[in-house]
Amino acid sequence: MAEAEKVDIPEERQKEILAIEAKLASNHFEVLGVSAGATSEQVRDAFHALSRKFHPDRFHGKQLGSFKGRIDAIFRRLIEANSILTDPAKRQAYLDANPFVRAAIRAATGTTAAHQPVAAKTAEEESRDAERRARLSRHPYLAKVTAVQDHLGKAKAHIAKGEFSHAFTMLNLANQIDPQNVEVKTLLADVRKKAEHLRSDTDYKRGLTALEEGNEDLAIGAFKAAVNASASNHLAAFKAAQLLEKNGGDVKEISIFAQKAVDASPMTVEYRVLLARMLELSGMKALAKKHFEEALRLGPDHPDVKKHVKKRWPF
Amino acid sequence: MAEREPVIGIDLGTTNSVVAFMQDGTPTVIRNRASTNLTPSVVALSKTGKMLVGQIAKRQAITNASDTVYAAKRLIGRKFSSPQTQDGVKSLPYTVSAGEHDDIRIQLGDKHFSVPEVSAMVLKELKLDAEAFFGKPVRKAVITVPAYFNDGQRQATKDAGRIAGLEVLRIINEPTAAALAYGFGKSVNGKIAVFDLGGGTFDVSVLDVSSGVFDVIATGGDTYLGGEDFDNRLIEWLVFDFAKENGIDLRKDRMALQRLKDSSEKAKIELSTSKETQINLPFISSPPGGGTALHLQKTLTREKFEELCGDLIAKTITICEQVLNDAKVKSTDLKEMILVGGMTRVPKVIDAVKTFFRRDPCKGVHPDEVVALGAAVQADALTSEDSEVVLLDVTPQSLGVAVAGGYVRRLIPRNTTVPTSVTEVFNTSKDEQTTVKIMVLQGEAEVAHQNELLGEFILTGLRKARRGEVEIDVTFEINSEGIVSVSARDRETGLQQSIQVTASGGLTEDELKRILEEQADLMLEARTGEEIQTRKLELKGLMKEVEELIPQLDKATQGSEFGQDAISKAKSALENARKAFDAPMLSKVNESMDTLTRTISLFKGVLERIK
Repeated sequence: MAEAEKVDIPEERQKEILAIEAKLASNHFEVLGVSAGATSEQVRDAFHALSRKFHPDRFHGKQLGSFKGRIDAIFRRLIEANSILTDPAKRQAYLDANPFVRAAIRAATGTTAAHQPVAAKTAEEESRDAERRARLSRHPYLAKVTAVQDHLGKAKAHIAKGEFSHAFTMLNLANQIDPQNVEVKTLLADVRKKAEHLRSDTDYKRGLTALEEGNEDLAIGAFKAAVNASASNHLAAFKAAQLLEKNGGDVKEISIFAQKAVDASPMTVEYRVLLARMLELSGMKALAKKHFEEALRLGPDHPDVKKHVKKRWPF
Repeated sequence: MAEREPVIGIDLGTTNSVVAFMQDGTPTVIRNRASTNLTPSVVALSKTGKMLVGQIAKRQAITNASDTVYAAKRLIGRKFSSPQTQDGVKSLPYTVSAGEHDDIRIQLGDKHFSVPEVSAMVLKELKLDAEAFFGKPVRKAVITVPAYFNDGQRQATKDAGRIAGLEVLRIINEPTAAALAYGFGKSVNGKIAVFDLGGGTFDVSVLDVSSGVFDVIATGGDTYLGGEDFDNRLIEWLVFDFAKENGIDLRKDRMALQRLKDSSEKAKIELSTSKETQINLPFISSPPGGGTALHLQKTLTREKFEELCGDLIAKTITICEQVLNDAKVKSTDLKEMILVGGMTRVPKVIDAVKTFFRRDPCKGVHPDEVVALGAAVQADALTSEDSEVVLLDVTPQSLGVAVAGGYVRRLIPRNTTVPTSVTEVFNTSKDEQTTVKIMVLQGEAEVAHQNELLGEFILTGLRKARRGEVEIDVTFEINSEGIVSVSARDRETGLQQSIQVTASGGLTEDELKRILEEQADLMLEARTGEEIQTRKLELKGLMKEVEELIPQLDKATQGSEFGQDAISKAKSALENARKAFDAPMLSKVNESMDTLTRTISLFKGVLERIK
């Protein structure tokens, strides 16, 4: 145990060391204890202040025990954070690879770091950057991580703009590269649903427009497509069923859409009544009776119920 | 308060070395036993078989050219086959040969010394000076090296410290030390540049200083560019003209070469204050097949000197440009500009620096002493509880490994703050492969062989598996001293992999151990009293020698004006020596020894030519 260890460091400083050690896995800004998006100057000042406390030289020749490793790790981490955040090119690359940090900056400052002016790169910096990128890409592990982070970042940008299908494509790519990434998986499920809804919604609206224009065939096609895109779009399902009935469509097909509307929204009385009637027509009396009863229970005063159910009572 | 053990800071220079310590919060130079601040970094084996170090060794260089070693720093940590060594060997009067693993051996008498051993003799002399000053043993020191020194050169310098019986607390960079001495105790905040042109090396560093933190942003330099190169230009010029007139290559004569070197250095120094100087070397050579002795007499103007060395100065400015560029700093952003090293007294160098940095250099920094003072500040910071000083230095050269096709994969770029480390994955490329060889390189060249090979590391005892299945994490680490270490771990099993280091250049651990054992009995601490006794005996010997030489010279010069003048000077020197002998003051004794050694070498030189 660290507490029991005999080390030649004042207790106060030991606590500070343990406190900063606990932060080492945080982002570069947090490690240095500056606000997200702090300027180069602020970063450097913080780094200097921390160096005064945690530079291994400050503990030269002392009995350090397990603290030696801690201090070395802390100082190395401080150097890393400082060197990345004080170099415009490295900072940019870091933020590109870590959208979370960029989001934190946006939250802290209300601006996005992407729009901060970046000093023009010299030819040498360019070549060094290129070399660094080339080196990274050669490294299989880093290449994987970078690619996943890259896709993830792009996907999030699409989500923010409401472009769910683009986001879905990006996340799908990321998921193929790294199927274990939990963040990608959850986002992917989420976006898939959202993309479906969006598509279904568009088709539904298309259907309504066609209906207004009197083109019922086109409207039926659109409503069917909306149901296919998202099974939860009960409005589209009901409209499809209604239109089919009106145009003398196949009873079976009508009952399928009515069923879908009921599945997606079990509490809506109209759906139940329609489904029950279609079932009755196709000869499934028992099932029809069950749905009539349910409709009656849900809305005894509903006009559809009065119209279709009450006259059949008590079945 | 318990008295603290003394810790010293040492500037181990190419031409001169300085030792300093922290006196009541002020860095102070410790004078050597000859009462001067600078100790020449010269080691010699006298004709009587005694090791001489410092001023006394420098004084006898002319008569003992082949056994006098100067500028050992230009050789330390280098390989014998390196272009710098090969270039240097041509102009060195002492003999240099290749050691077992392409390292350099210096011949003194019939013994061959490694370069760290020679440097250790200088360090030991400084250690003794400090011990004479404190009146007690000194064990701990901070030693400076040029910022642009690579790993091998740093290791070798550390070895030298160990051989001299010192615990080297830290190796620090000279320009950083200079900045430390400059900024210590002042409330300096902002960016400063240090331009350090010394006897053999050149460095320039840009630092960001803020209340006690000295953060090096960028550094650059050339470890083979300094006063020695300026001297060599003058020697070449003298030799070339002499050869044109007389058809004799003076470089073939070691004594003549040493005299040329001496007078070139003097001429260079004089030109810092005057517009022209005379180079006067009587009896420099005798023509083949007899005839009257030849003299070399020339006038050197400052213009001529600047013309001869212009490209060397231009080279320093090119490096400055690159470092400012690396640091992303404009010269107008700099708060201060510090000049370090004896060569920054040359007016043309000052002009060039002023023009480039567009400012006057800082006054009030002693160019010869500031590095040692900074080393003393760091030595104190490392050993005292309440120091406010923190050094953040960088690695001057990129670290990489050789990859297929003879190229370099950069792992740690130059100007990375140290300590730093990077981990790289290595794979086996054959089935059942059990060893992997890694060549570690330092330098900026794209092609592997143009970089410095730090060493070859062989990972051994890998577990047998199909090719590519064994993945080894190899961690390269650069510590605060700029020294590189390598460790390896099998990714899958987590087992530490053993690494075999095949040394390149420096001393192997076994050699170092042997040297330390051999020296163990010589490590006894010196006592000032004993020191005086031995020096007095030496002085007596020298006096006797001069007394014997006077009648010989009288006969040889046959009453010529030059001869009479020389003899009367020698007599007064003898008189002074007698006085010094009676009043046992070490500084006086040493002074007289210098004068007498000089007299003897002059007399011998003249006698040899006339015979």
